[in-house]
Amino acid sequence: MSLGHEAQNELTRIAVKAGQILHQHGAESRLVEQTTQRIGMALGAQSIELSVSSDAIVITSLFKGNCVTTTRRCYDRGINMYMVCEVQRICVMLEKQLLDADQVKERLARLVPFKYNRWLVVLMIGFSCASFSHFFGGDTPVYITTFFASAGAMILRQELAHRHHNPFVNFALAAFLATSIASIGVINQFGEDPKIAMAASVLLLVPGFPLINAVSDMLKGHISTGIARWVFATLLTISVSIGIVGSMAITGVWGWIA
Amino acid sequence: MELIKLLVIDAWFAWIPAVGFAMVFNVPKKMLIYCAIGGASAHSFRYLLMHFGIPIEWATLAASSSMGFLGLYWSRKRLIPRPVFTVASVIPMIPGSFAFTTVIGIVELNSGGYNMALAQVVVENGLRTLFILGALSFGLALPSILIYRGRPIV
Repeated sequence: MSLGHEAQNELTRIAVKAGQILHQHGAESRLVEQTTQRIGMALGAQSIELSVSSDAIVITSLFKGNCVTTTRRCYDRGINMYMVCEVQRICVMLEKQLLDADQVKERLARLVPFKYNRWLVVLMIGFSCASFSHFFGGDTPVYITTFFASAGAMILRQELAHRHHNPFVNFALAAFLATSIASIGVINQFGEDPKIAMAASVLLLVPGFPLINAVSDMLKGHISTGIARWVFATLLTISVSIGIVGSMAITGVWGWIA
Repeated sequence: MELIKLLVIDAWFAWIPAVGFAMVFNVPKKMLIYCAIGGASAHSFRYLLMHFGIPIEWATLAASSSMGFLGLYWSRKRLIPRPVFTVASVIPMIPGSFAFTTVIGIVELNSGGYNMALAQVVVENGLRTLFILGALSFGLALPSILIYRGRPIV
């Protein structure tokens, strides 16, 4: 098989685009590495060397002693599993030779992140946190308080994210709002133990995906990206806690510890 | 009989957060049903194990590794990367409350001065967070660590 210099450039660009999409939408480093390598090899490269760091990828394609290297910054665009699924599907179709290089390029360029209706998400997140309040032993009034507190926080979180606010500011404000709404329940004594609502209503702000990705990156040998994700998740947790403490200091309702 | 009823209630309340968070992660519509089944079965399995007195860390490890293998089967069947189902399914088991208690305790240690009771809260909750989280991710990663060892799953 022969591959001209221009074709090798093109191959490298296609592979790095796939890797960039995966990285930006929250895939773990192993998946980014493997999928990019598979796409590059399927397009005809002899080998693909890839370096994944927390906010960029560097890729080198090798063909008969000729190296092409390129770098892409990967700005975080929010977790979107739809995009990860689509890139994986393109990779599998390419390996089965159902697509050629041009079609892969066109399909990657055409991908648009799929998003659920935001009010549906608010409703489901409200019920989710309300279910957590059930796990903590809350009764029906607590369930209702938690629903409204977390749904309100989710609306705020979506609004701030939509306006590209810093995630730490966003999470702290959302935690502040959730705790404030839940503390109304404590002041008016809704239900048996209304403090449960304060604990359950902020659980929509737990950075679960970054934490799981962090540990699985570290387990699979990508220590530095794992540490970066871990630190990011920890900072988010700290800013949520600051929001909670700020709200409790203002309302005087001490729902945590004590 | 009583136990089965408790398990069903637990599963019912576990599928809601699994699907809710799957929607935050924009999991494709057709996959939401897998997240619901995974979330309900993993959380009720952990409930069952804890009912028989197994510590929460080991119960979490067992539940998440069973979820990892279930995700492996689905992922091979539907040609979809594994985190799409597995992460949303274990979200109900994430130790969020322990994590927040730890950090709030640290904030309090700073503002109110050091005291033994508060330090105990911080250390106990912090360690519990770390171990549950480690068990959770390790369990999910188990199939690719033990069986696939570097080869792609899909």
